[in-house]
Amino acid sequence: MTQPVVSAQNLVKSYGPRLAVDGVSFDVQPNEVMGLLGPNGSGKSTILRILTGYLKPTSGTASVAGFDVVDNGLEARGQLGYVPEDVPLYTHMRVIEFLEFMGRVRGVSESGLARSVDRAIERLALGKVRELLIAKLSRGYRQRVAIAQALLGEPKLLILDEPTNGLDPRQIIEVRELIRALSRDLSVLVTSHILAEIERVAHRVAILLDGKLLTVHTLGSQAGGRMKVRVPAGTADEVRRNLASLTGVRIAEVLPVPGLYVLEHDGTAAATIAALVGAGLAVEEATPAGSGLEALFLRLTEGPGA
Amino acid sequence: MKGFAPLLGKEIRALFYAPVAYALIAVFLLLMGYSFTLTLFLNKYATLIHIFFQSAGLLLLIVPIITMRLFAEERKGGTLELLLTAPVRESHVVLAKYVASMAVVLSMIGLTGCYALVLGLFGSPEWGPIYSGYLGLALLSSTLVSIGLAVSALTANQVVAAIVTIGISFTLWMIDSLAGMMPDALERVLISFSLLARFTPFATGAMYTSDFGFFLTSTLLALFLAMRALARR
Repeated sequence: MTQPVVSAQNLVKSYGPRLAVDGVSFDVQPNEVMGLLGPNGSGKSTILRILTGYLKPTSGTASVAGFDVVDNGLEARGQLGYVPEDVPLYTHMRVIEFLEFMGRVRGVSESGLARSVDRAIERLALGKVRELLIAKLSRGYRQRVAIAQALLGEPKLLILDEPTNGLDPRQIIEVRELIRALSRDLSVLVTSHILAEIERVAHRVAILLDGKLLTVHTLGSQAGGRMKVRVPAGTADEVRRNLASLTGVRIAEVLPVPGLYVLEHDGTAAATIAALVGAGLAVEEATPAGSGLEALFLRLTEGPGA
Repeated sequence: MKGFAPLLGKEIRALFYAPVAYALIAVFLLLMGYSFTLTLFLNKYATLIHIFFQSAGLLLLIVPIITMRLFAEERKGGTLELLLTAPVRESHVVLAKYVASMAVVLSMIGLTGCYALVLGLFGSPEWGPIYSGYLGLALLSSTLVSIGLAVSALTANQVVAAIVTIGISFTLWMIDSLAGMMPDALERVLISFSLLARFTPFATGAMYTSDFGFFLTSTLLALFLAMRALARR
Protein backbone atom coordinates (compact mmCIF):
# COMPACT_ATOMS: atom_id res chain seq x y z
CA MET A 1 0.00 0.00 0.00
CA THR A 2 1.39 3.43 -0.94
CA GLN A 3 2.14 5.93 1.79
CA PRO A 4 -0.41 8.76 1.92
CA VAL A 5 0.96 12.21 1.11
CA VAL A 6 -1.06 13.69 3.95
CA SER A 7 -2.07 11.88 7.06
CA ALA A 8 -4.00 13.73 9.76
CA GLN A 9 -5.01 11.96 12.96
CA ASN A 10 -7.42 13.44 15.50
CA LEU A 11 -6.39 17.02 14.82
CA VAL A 12 -7.67 19.47 17.41
CA LYS A 13 -7.10 23.22 17.45
CA SER A 14 -8.66 25.31 20.16
CA TYR A 15 -8.67 29.03 20.78
CA GLY A 16 -9.55 29.24 24.45
CA PRO A 17 -12.82 27.42 24.94
CA ARG A 18 -13.66 27.48 21.21
CA LEU A 19 -12.75 24.43 19.14
CA ALA A 20 -11.83 25.52 15.61
CA VAL A 21 -10.91 21.95 14.63
CA ASP A 22 -12.40 19.07 16.58
CA GLY A 23 -10.80 15.64 16.16
CA VAL A 24 -10.38 15.63 12.37
CA SER A 25 -8.70 12.64 10.68
CA PHE A 26 -8.22 12.16 6.97
CA ASP A 27 -5.57 11.34 4.42
CA VAL A 28 -4.62 12.35 0.91
CA GLN A 29 -3.24 9.75 -1.48
CA PRO A 30 -0.58 10.36 -4.16
CA ASN A 31 -1.97 12.17 -7.23
CA GLU A 32 -5.29 12.65 -5.54
CA VAL A 33 -7.26 15.90 -5.45
CA MET A 34 -8.85 16.08 -2.03
CA GLY A 35 -11.41 18.77 -1.34
CA LEU A 36 -12.24 20.25 2.03
CA LEU A 37 -15.79 21.52 1.84
CA GLY A 38 -17.66 23.46 4.47
CA PRO A 39 -19.27 26.78 5.22
CA ASN A 40 -17.14 29.75 6.29
CA GLY A 41 -15.77 29.15 9.79
CA SER A 42 -15.97 25.37 9.55
CA GLY A 43 -12.23 24.93 10.18
CA LYS A 44 -10.95 24.38 6.62
CA SER A 45 -8.27 27.07 6.67
CA THR A 46 -7.20 26.13 10.19
CA ILE A 47 -6.57 22.55 9.04
CA LEU A 48 -4.49 23.82 6.12
CA ARG A 49 -2.53 26.11 8.43
CA ILE A 50 -1.76 23.18 10.71
CA LEU A 51 -0.56 21.08 7.77
CA THR A 52 1.65 23.94 6.52
CA GLY A 53 3.17 24.46 9.97
CA TYR A 54 1.76 27.95 10.36
CA LEU A 55 -0.39 26.88 13.30
CA LYS A 56 0.46 24.24 15.85
CA PRO A 57 -2.28 21.72 16.67
CA THR A 58 -3.56 21.69 20.24
CA SER A 59 -3.51 17.88 19.98
CA GLY A 60 -3.38 15.21 17.31
CA THR A 61 -0.75 14.59 14.67
CA ALA A 62 -0.33 15.33 11.00
CA SER A 63 2.34 14.40 8.52
CA VAL A 64 3.22 15.44 4.99
CA ALA A 65 5.07 12.87 2.88
CA GLY A 66 5.90 11.02 6.07
CA PHE A 67 7.30 14.04 7.96
CA ASP A 68 5.49 15.14 11.10
CA VAL A 69 4.45 18.77 10.67
CA VAL A 70 5.49 19.68 14.24
CA ASP A 71 8.53 17.49 14.96
CA ASN A 72 9.96 17.65 11.43
CA GLY A 73 8.36 20.91 10.36
CA LEU A 74 11.19 22.05 8.11
CA GLU A 75 11.22 18.79 6.15
CA ALA A 76 7.41 18.67 5.98
CA ARG A 77 7.27 22.25 4.67
CA GLY A 78 9.85 21.32 2.06
CA GLN A 79 7.40 18.78 0.63
CA LEU A 80 4.50 21.16 0.08
CA GLY A 81 3.57 24.29 -1.79
CA TYR A 82 0.93 26.53 -0.27
CA VAL A 83 -1.30 29.28 -1.61
CA PRO A 84 -3.08 31.06 1.25
CA GLU A 85 -6.61 32.36 0.80
CA ASP A 86 -5.89 36.05 0.24
CA VAL A 87 -2.94 35.37 -2.10
CA PRO A 88 -0.36 37.35 -0.15
CA LEU A 89 2.58 38.41 -2.32
CA TYR A 90 5.46 40.89 -2.09
CA THR A 91 3.87 43.48 -4.32
CA HIS A 92 7.01 45.63 -4.54
CA MET A 93 8.79 42.80 -6.38
CA ARG A 94 8.67 41.94 -10.07
CA VAL A 95 7.17 38.55 -10.92
CA ILE A 96 10.51 37.03 -11.90
CA GLU A 97 12.23 38.53 -8.85
CA PHE A 98 9.53 37.13 -6.54
CA LEU A 99 9.67 33.66 -8.08
CA GLU A 100 13.47 33.58 -7.85
CA PHE A 101 13.28 34.65 -4.20
CA MET A 102 10.68 32.02 -3.35
CA GLY A 103 12.66 29.40 -5.28
CA ARG A 104 15.76 30.12 -3.18
CA VAL A 105 13.71 30.15 0.02
CA ARG A 106 12.15 26.84 -0.99
CA GLY A 107 15.62 25.36 -1.35
CA VAL A 108 15.95 25.23 -5.14
CA SER A 109 19.68 25.16 -5.99
CA GLU A 110 21.18 28.12 -7.87
CA SER A 111 21.99 25.86 -10.83
CA GLY A 112 18.39 24.66 -11.13
CA LEU A 113 16.69 27.93 -10.21
CA ALA A 114 16.35 29.44 -13.69
CA ARG A 115 14.96 26.18 -15.10
CA SER A 116 12.55 25.74 -12.21
CA VAL A 117 11.28 29.33 -12.46
CA ASP A 118 10.95 29.13 -16.25
CA ARG A 119 8.93 25.92 -15.92
CA ALA A 120 6.59 27.50 -13.40
CA ILE A 121 6.20 30.59 -15.60
CA GLU A 122 5.39 28.40 -18.59
CA ARG A 123 2.94 26.22 -16.66
CA LEU A 124 1.05 29.22 -15.33
CA ALA A 125 1.32 31.23 -18.59
CA LEU A 126 3.08 34.12 -16.86
CA GLY A 127 5.46 34.89 -19.72
CA LYS A 128 3.73 38.17 -20.58
CA VAL A 129 4.00 39.56 -17.07
CA ARG A 130 7.32 38.15 -15.88
CA GLU A 131 9.01 41.56 -15.75
CA LEU A 132 6.03 43.44 -14.29
CA LEU A 133 5.65 44.57 -10.70
CA ILE A 134 3.25 42.29 -8.83
CA ALA A 135 1.42 45.40 -7.59
CA LYS A 136 0.34 46.06 -11.18
CA LEU A 137 -1.12 42.59 -11.81
CA SER A 138 -4.81 41.68 -11.90
CA ARG A 139 -6.32 39.32 -9.30
CA GLY A 140 -6.17 36.46 -11.78
CA TYR A 141 -2.49 36.94 -12.54
CA ARG A 142 -1.69 37.31 -8.83
CA GLN A 143 -3.39 33.98 -8.22
CA ARG A 144 -1.27 32.42 -10.93
CA VAL A 145 1.93 33.91 -9.48
CA ALA A 146 0.98 32.52 -6.07
CA ILE A 147 0.41 29.06 -7.54
CA ALA A 148 3.66 29.32 -9.52
CA GLN A 149 5.68 29.99 -6.36
CA ALA A 150 4.02 27.03 -4.66
CA LEU A 151 5.18 24.73 -7.46
CA LEU A 152 8.86 25.68 -7.16
CA GLY A 153 11.03 22.95 -5.72
CA GLU A 154 8.80 20.16 -7.06
CA PRO A 155 6.58 19.69 -3.98
CA LYS A 156 4.65 16.46 -3.46
CA LEU A 157 1.61 18.33 -2.21
CA LEU A 158 -0.06 21.54 -3.35
CA ILE A 159 -2.37 23.21 -0.85
CA LEU A 160 -4.82 25.76 -2.18
CA ASP A 161 -7.07 27.71 0.16
CA GLU A 162 -10.19 28.96 -1.66
CA PRO A 163 -8.30 29.30 -4.96
CA THR A 164 -11.24 30.64 -6.96
CA ASN A 165 -12.20 33.44 -4.58
CA GLY A 166 -12.48 36.76 -6.37
CA LEU A 167 -11.83 35.32 -9.83
CA ASP A 168 -14.03 35.87 -12.88
CA PRO A 169 -15.72 32.86 -14.54
CA ARG A 170 -12.98 32.44 -17.13
CA GLN A 171 -10.25 32.52 -14.47
CA ILE A 172 -12.21 30.01 -12.37
CA ILE A 173 -12.27 27.59 -15.32
CA GLU A 174 -8.51 28.11 -15.79
CA VAL A 175 -7.77 27.33 -12.14
CA ARG A 176 -10.00 24.25 -12.33
CA GLU A 177 -8.17 22.96 -15.40
CA LEU A 178 -4.84 23.74 -13.80
CA ILE A 179 -5.69 21.70 -10.70
CA ARG A 180 -6.70 18.76 -12.88
CA ALA A 181 -3.45 19.02 -14.85
CA LEU A 182 -1.30 19.35 -11.73
CA SER A 183 -2.81 16.28 -10.13
CA ARG A 184 -0.98 14.18 -12.71
CA ASP A 185 2.28 15.11 -10.95
CA LEU A 186 1.33 15.75 -7.34
CA SER A 187 -1.44 15.62 -4.75
CA VAL A 188 -3.69 18.62 -4.28
CA LEU A 189 -5.57 19.61 -1.15
CA VAL A 190 -8.08 22.31 -1.97
CA THR A 191 -10.68 24.08 0.14
CA SER A 192 -13.83 25.79 -0.94
CA HIS A 193 -17.16 26.79 0.46
CA ILE A 194 -18.59 26.47 -3.05
CA LEU A 195 -19.85 22.95 -3.56
CA ALA A 196 -19.95 23.09 -7.36
CA GLU A 197 -16.27 24.07 -7.48
CA ILE A 198 -15.10 21.22 -5.30
CA GLU A 199 -17.06 18.53 -7.05
CA ARG A 200 -15.64 19.51 -10.42
CA VAL A 201 -12.02 19.04 -9.40
CA ALA A 202 -11.82 16.71 -6.43
CA HIS A 203 -11.62 12.93 -6.34
CA ARG A 204 -12.74 12.88 -2.72
CA VAL A 205 -14.37 15.51 -0.54
CA ALA A 206 -14.16 15.88 3.23
CA ILE A 207 -17.22 17.72 4.52
CA LEU A 208 -16.63 19.88 7.58
CA LEU A 209 -19.01 21.68 9.88
CA ASP A 210 -18.13 23.58 13.05
CA GLY A 211 -14.64 22.07 13.07
CA LYS A 212 -15.89 18.49 12.84
CA LEU A 213 -15.37 16.15 9.91
CA LEU A 214 -18.82 14.88 8.97
CA THR A 215 -17.82 12.47 6.23
CA VAL A 216 -15.38 11.81 3.42
CA HIS A 217 -17.27 11.33 0.17
CA THR A 218 -15.81 9.78 -2.97
CA LEU A 219 -16.83 11.55 -6.16
CA GLY A 220 -16.90 10.24 -9.67
CA SER A 221 -18.92 7.08 -9.05
CA GLN A 222 -21.90 8.97 -10.49
CA ALA A 223 -24.17 6.92 -8.26
CA GLY A 224 -26.80 9.02 -6.57
CA GLY A 225 -27.85 12.54 -7.36
CA ARG A 226 -30.61 14.70 -8.68
CA MET A 227 -31.80 15.11 -12.21
CA LYS A 228 -34.31 17.33 -13.92
CA VAL A 229 -36.58 15.36 -16.26
CA ARG A 230 -39.21 16.38 -18.77
CA VAL A 231 -42.15 13.99 -18.86
CA PRO A 232 -44.87 15.90 -20.75
CA ALA A 233 -47.46 13.10 -20.71
CA GLY A 234 -49.59 12.70 -17.59
CA THR A 235 -50.09 14.61 -14.37
CA ALA A 236 -47.76 14.76 -11.42
CA ASP A 237 -49.88 12.21 -9.57
CA GLU A 238 -49.68 9.79 -12.48
CA VAL A 239 -45.91 10.19 -12.65
CA ARG A 240 -45.67 9.67 -8.89
CA ARG A 241 -47.76 6.45 -9.21
CA ASN A 242 -45.47 5.17 -11.94
CA LEU A 243 -42.39 5.93 -9.83
CA ALA A 244 -43.85 4.05 -6.90
CA SER A 245 -43.04 0.79 -8.69
CA LEU A 246 -39.34 1.76 -8.82
CA THR A 247 -36.89 1.68 -5.94
CA GLY A 248 -34.26 4.37 -5.43
CA VAL A 249 -36.08 7.07 -7.43
CA ARG A 250 -38.40 9.71 -5.98
CA ILE A 251 -39.78 13.10 -6.92
CA ALA A 252 -37.88 15.83 -5.06
CA GLU A 253 -39.71 18.73 -6.62
CA VAL A 254 -42.52 19.41 -9.06
CA LEU A 255 -41.44 22.45 -11.05
CA PRO A 256 -43.96 25.16 -12.07
CA VAL A 257 -43.51 24.33 -15.79
CA PRO A 258 -45.91 21.46 -16.67
CA GLY A 259 -44.12 18.15 -17.17
CA LEU A 260 -40.86 19.20 -15.43
CA TYR A 261 -39.75 17.34 -12.29
CA VAL A 262 -36.61 17.13 -10.19
CA LEU A 263 -35.94 13.52 -9.19
CA GLU A 264 -33.59 12.14 -6.55
CA HIS A 265 -32.00 8.87 -7.53
CA ASP A 266 -29.70 6.44 -5.74
CA GLY A 267 -28.32 4.66 -8.83
CA THR A 268 -26.39 6.07 -11.76
CA ALA A 269 -28.07 8.56 -14.11
CA ALA A 270 -28.12 6.10 -17.04
CA ALA A 271 -29.64 3.29 -14.98
CA THR A 272 -32.25 5.66 -13.58
CA ILE A 273 -33.34 6.90 -17.00
CA ALA A 274 -33.56 3.32 -18.29
CA ALA A 275 -35.68 2.41 -15.25
CA LEU A 276 -37.98 5.40 -15.82
CA VAL A 277 -38.54 4.43 -19.45
CA GLY A 278 -39.02 0.83 -18.43
CA ALA A 279 -41.73 1.93 -16.00
CA GLY A 280 -43.62 3.52 -18.86
CA LEU A 281 -42.60 7.13 -18.40
CA ALA A 282 -41.90 8.93 -21.70
CA VAL A 283 -38.78 10.87 -20.69
CA GLU A 284 -38.03 13.49 -23.35
CA GLU A 285 -35.17 15.22 -21.59
CA ALA A 286 -32.96 14.57 -18.57
CA THR A 287 -30.29 16.91 -17.18
CA PRO A 288 -28.24 16.75 -13.97
CA ALA A 289 -29.70 18.93 -11.25
CA GLY A 290 -27.05 18.90 -8.57
CA SER A 291 -25.08 15.90 -7.49
CA GLY A 292 -25.10 13.30 -4.81
CA LEU A 293 -22.62 15.52 -3.02
CA GLU A 294 -25.16 18.33 -2.87
CA ALA A 295 -27.81 16.06 -1.42
CA LEU A 296 -25.29 14.58 0.99
CA PHE A 297 -24.07 17.99 2.06
CA LEU A 298 -27.59 19.23 2.66
CA ARG A 299 -28.52 16.10 4.55
CA LEU A 300 -25.41 16.26 6.77
CA THR A 301 -25.64 19.95 7.49
CA GLU A 302 -29.39 19.99 8.14
CA GLY A 303 -29.10 17.76 11.21
CA PRO A 304 -29.68 18.91 14.77
CA GLY A 305 -27.20 21.57 15.78
CA ALA A 306 -26.18 22.25 12.19
CA MET B 1 22.59 28.86 7.19
CA LYS B 2 20.82 27.58 4.07
CA GLY B 3 17.90 29.85 3.25
CA PHE B 4 19.34 32.81 5.18
CA ALA B 5 21.04 34.55 2.24
CA PRO B 6 17.86 35.00 0.12
CA LEU B 7 15.98 36.23 3.19
CA LEU B 8 18.71 38.77 3.94
CA GLY B 9 18.79 39.88 0.29
CA LYS B 10 15.04 40.42 0.33
CA GLU B 11 15.17 42.44 3.55
CA ILE B 12 18.03 44.63 2.39
CA ARG B 13 16.30 45.33 -0.92
CA ALA B 14 13.03 46.11 0.85
CA LEU B 15 14.74 48.55 3.22
CA PHE B 16 17.00 50.26 0.71
CA TYR B 17 14.47 50.38 -2.14
CA ALA B 18 11.98 52.19 0.05
CA PRO B 19 12.31 55.97 0.32
CA VAL B 20 11.91 55.79 4.11
CA ALA B 21 15.51 54.69 4.68
CA TYR B 22 16.90 57.51 2.54
CA ALA B 23 14.62 60.10 4.14
CA LEU B 24 15.72 59.00 7.61
CA ILE B 25 19.41 58.98 6.65
CA ALA B 26 19.09 62.45 5.10
CA VAL B 27 17.32 63.95 8.12
CA PHE B 28 19.77 62.28 10.50
CA LEU B 29 22.81 63.62 8.62
CA LEU B 30 21.29 67.06 8.27
CA LEU B 31 20.66 67.38 12.00
CA MET B 32 24.01 65.90 12.94
CA GLY B 33 25.84 68.07 10.41
CA TYR B 34 24.16 71.19 11.78
CA SER B 35 25.07 70.24 15.34
CA PHE B 36 28.64 69.30 14.42
CA THR B 37 29.29 72.54 12.53
CA LEU B 38 27.70 74.75 15.14
CA THR B 39 29.58 73.18 18.05
CA LEU B 40 32.86 73.18 16.16
CA PHE B 41 32.67 76.88 15.32
CA LEU B 42 31.43 77.92 18.76
CA ASN B 43 33.67 75.77 20.99
CA LYS B 44 36.63 75.06 18.68
CA TYR B 45 37.02 71.61 20.36
CA ALA B 46 38.13 68.69 18.18
CA THR B 47 35.69 66.23 19.78
CA LEU B 48 32.64 64.22 18.75
CA ILE B 49 31.23 63.53 22.22
CA HIS B 50 28.21 65.79 21.69
CA ILE B 51 27.60 64.14 18.30
CA PHE B 52 27.56 60.71 19.93
CA PHE B 53 24.99 61.73 22.51
CA GLN B 54 22.82 63.51 19.95
CA SER B 55 23.06 60.54 17.60
CA ALA B 56 22.03 58.23 20.42
CA GLY B 57 19.04 60.46 21.17
CA LEU B 58 17.99 60.53 17.52
CA LEU B 59 18.43 56.77 17.21
CA LEU B 60 15.84 56.32 19.96
CA LEU B 61 13.35 57.90 17.54
CA ILE B 62 14.70 56.72 14.19
CA VAL B 63 15.27 53.02 14.89
CA PRO B 64 11.59 52.37 15.77
CA ILE B 65 10.61 53.92 12.42
CA ILE B 66 12.93 51.49 10.64
CA THR B 67 11.85 48.43 12.63
CA MET B 68 8.11 49.10 12.90
CA ARG B 69 7.31 47.59 9.51
CA LEU B 70 9.56 44.54 9.72
CA PHE B 71 7.03 42.02 10.98
CA ALA B 72 3.93 44.20 11.36
CA GLU B 73 3.76 44.82 7.61
CA GLU B 74 4.27 41.16 6.76
CA ARG B 75 1.67 40.11 9.30
CA LYS B 76 -0.89 42.59 8.00
CA GLY B 77 -0.23 41.80 4.34
CA GLY B 78 -0.32 38.04 4.96
CA THR B 79 3.17 37.50 3.55
CA LEU B 80 4.32 36.29 6.96
CA GLU B 81 2.18 33.20 6.35
CA LEU B 82 3.87 32.72 2.98
CA LEU B 83 7.30 33.07 4.57
CA LEU B 84 6.73 30.89 7.63
CA THR B 85 5.13 28.07 5.64
CA ALA B 86 8.21 27.89 3.39
CA PRO B 87 11.02 25.56 4.49
CA VAL B 88 12.92 28.27 6.40
CA ARG B 89 13.76 28.55 10.08
CA GLU B 90 12.07 31.24 12.15
CA SER B 91 15.49 32.19 13.53
CA HIS B 92 16.71 32.91 9.98
CA VAL B 93 13.70 35.12 9.30
CA VAL B 94 14.38 37.12 12.48
CA LEU B 95 18.14 37.32 11.92
CA ALA B 96 17.72 38.46 8.31
CA LYS B 97 15.52 41.34 9.43
CA TYR B 98 17.95 42.20 12.23
CA VAL B 99 21.02 42.23 9.97
CA ALA B 100 19.25 44.27 7.26
CA SER B 101 18.05 46.86 9.77
CA MET B 102 21.50 47.08 11.29
CA ALA B 103 22.89 47.66 7.80
CA VAL B 104 20.65 50.74 7.42
CA VAL B 105 21.45 52.09 10.89
CA LEU B 106 25.18 51.45 10.57
CA SER B 107 25.22 53.15 7.14
CA MET B 108 23.59 56.14 8.78
CA ILE B 109 26.10 56.19 11.64
CA GLY B 110 28.99 55.39 9.30
CA LEU B 111 28.28 58.44 7.17
CA THR B 112 28.87 60.68 10.18
CA GLY B 113 32.45 59.40 9.99
CA CYS B 114 33.09 62.35 7.68
CA TYR B 115 32.97 64.58 10.79
CA ALA B 116 35.81 62.59 12.30
CA LEU B 117 37.63 62.94 8.99
CA VAL B 118 37.20 66.73 9.11
CA LEU B 119 38.54 66.82 12.66
CA GLY B 120 41.50 64.66 11.61
CA LEU B 121 42.28 66.91 8.64
CA PHE B 122 42.04 70.25 10.40
CA GLY B 123 42.80 69.40 14.03
CA SER B 124 44.34 66.79 16.25
CA PRO B 125 41.48 64.92 17.93
CA GLU B 126 41.90 62.10 20.45
CA TRP B 127 41.05 59.04 18.38
CA GLY B 128 40.37 56.68 21.29
CA PRO B 129 37.05 58.25 22.34
CA ILE B 130 36.03 58.53 18.69
CA TYR B 131 36.50 54.81 18.09
CA SER B 132 34.80 53.87 21.35
CA GLY B 133 31.97 56.32 20.64
CA TYR B 134 31.21 54.70 17.30
CA LEU B 135 31.40 51.26 18.88
CA GLY B 136 28.98 52.42 21.55
CA LEU B 137 26.57 53.73 18.91
CA ALA B 138 26.72 50.40 17.06
CA LEU B 139 26.03 48.44 20.26
CA LEU B 140 23.20 50.78 21.28
CA SER B 141 21.70 50.44 17.78
CA SER B 142 21.87 46.68 18.07
CA THR B 143 19.83 46.70 21.28
CA LEU B 144 17.31 49.21 19.89
CA VAL B 145 16.88 47.29 16.62
CA SER B 146 16.31 44.02 18.50
CA ILE B 147 13.72 45.63 20.78
CA GLY B 148 11.95 47.09 17.72
CA LEU B 149 12.01 43.71 16.03
CA ALA B 150 10.51 41.94 19.04
CA VAL B 151 7.71 44.51 19.34
CA SER B 152 7.02 44.39 15.60
CA ALA B 153 6.68 40.61 15.82
CA LEU B 154 3.85 41.03 18.30
CA THR B 155 1.52 43.24 16.28
CA ALA B 156 0.10 43.79 12.80
CA ASN B 157 -0.10 47.53 13.35
CA GLN B 158 3.04 49.45 12.37
CA VAL B 159 2.11 52.60 14.29
CA VAL B 160 1.53 50.62 17.47
CA ALA B 161 4.87 48.87 16.92
CA ALA B 162 6.67 52.23 16.55
CA ILE B 163 4.99 53.85 19.57
CA VAL B 164 5.62 50.89 21.87
CA THR B 165 9.26 50.62 20.73
CA ILE B 166 9.82 54.34 21.31
CA GLY B 167 8.23 53.97 24.75
CA ILE B 168 10.43 51.03 25.75
CA SER B 169 13.58 52.62 24.29
CA PHE B 170 13.09 55.97 26.06
CA THR B 171 12.18 54.28 29.34
CA LEU B 172 15.37 52.20 29.21
CA TRP B 173 17.39 55.25 28.16
CA MET B 174 16.43 57.38 31.13
CA ILE B 175 15.56 54.78 33.75
CA ASP B 176 18.67 55.75 35.75
CA SER B 177 17.12 59.12 36.63
CA LEU B 178 14.38 57.21 38.46
CA ALA B 179 17.00 55.12 40.26
CA GLY B 180 17.97 57.95 42.63
CA MET B 181 14.55 57.76 44.26
CA MET B 182 14.75 54.03 44.89
CA PRO B 183 16.31 51.98 47.71
CA ASP B 184 19.96 51.07 47.18
CA ALA B 185 19.42 47.53 45.89
CA LEU B 186 16.80 48.63 43.38
CA GLU B 187 18.87 51.67 42.41
CA ARG B 188 21.74 49.47 41.30
CA VAL B 189 19.40 47.24 39.30
CA LEU B 190 17.73 50.18 37.56
CA ILE B 191 21.05 51.80 36.70
CA SER B 192 22.30 48.53 35.28
CA PHE B 193 19.34 48.55 32.84
CA SER B 194 19.89 52.17 31.80
CA LEU B 195 20.93 52.56 28.17
CA LEU B 196 22.28 56.04 28.95
CA ALA B 197 24.42 54.75 31.83
CA ARG B 198 25.73 51.94 29.60
CA PHE B 199 26.37 54.20 26.62
CA THR B 200 28.06 57.13 28.43
CA PRO B 201 31.42 55.37 29.03
CA PHE B 202 31.68 54.48 25.32
CA ALA B 203 30.94 58.08 24.27
CA THR B 204 33.54 59.47 26.63
CA GLY B 205 36.29 57.05 25.72
CA ALA B 206 35.97 54.36 28.40
CA MET B 207 35.01 50.79 27.63
CA TYR B 208 33.88 48.22 30.20
CA THR B 209 33.28 44.54 29.59
CA SER B 210 30.05 44.76 31.59
CA ASP B 211 28.65 47.36 29.16
CA PHE B 212 29.59 45.15 26.20
CA GLY B 213 27.90 42.27 27.95
CA PHE B 214 24.78 44.30 28.60
CA PHE B 215 24.32 45.36 24.98
CA LEU B 216 25.05 41.88 23.65
CA THR B 217 22.79 40.18 26.18
CA SER B 218 19.92 42.62 25.62
CA THR B 219 20.26 42.11 21.85
CA LEU B 220 20.17 38.33 22.15
CA LEU B 221 17.28 38.43 24.62
CA ALA B 222 15.19 40.70 22.37
CA LEU B 223 15.97 38.56 19.30
CA PHE B 224 14.96 35.47 21.26
CA LEU B 225 11.69 37.18 22.26
CA ALA B 226 11.08 38.05 18.60
CA MET B 227 11.51 34.37 17.68
CA ARG B 228 9.17 33.31 20.49
CA ALA B 229 6.62 35.88 19.35
CA LEU B 230 6.75 34.37 15.86
CA ALA B 231 6.48 30.84 17.19
CA ARG B 232 3.42 31.76 19.28
CA ARG B 233 0.83 30.67 16.76
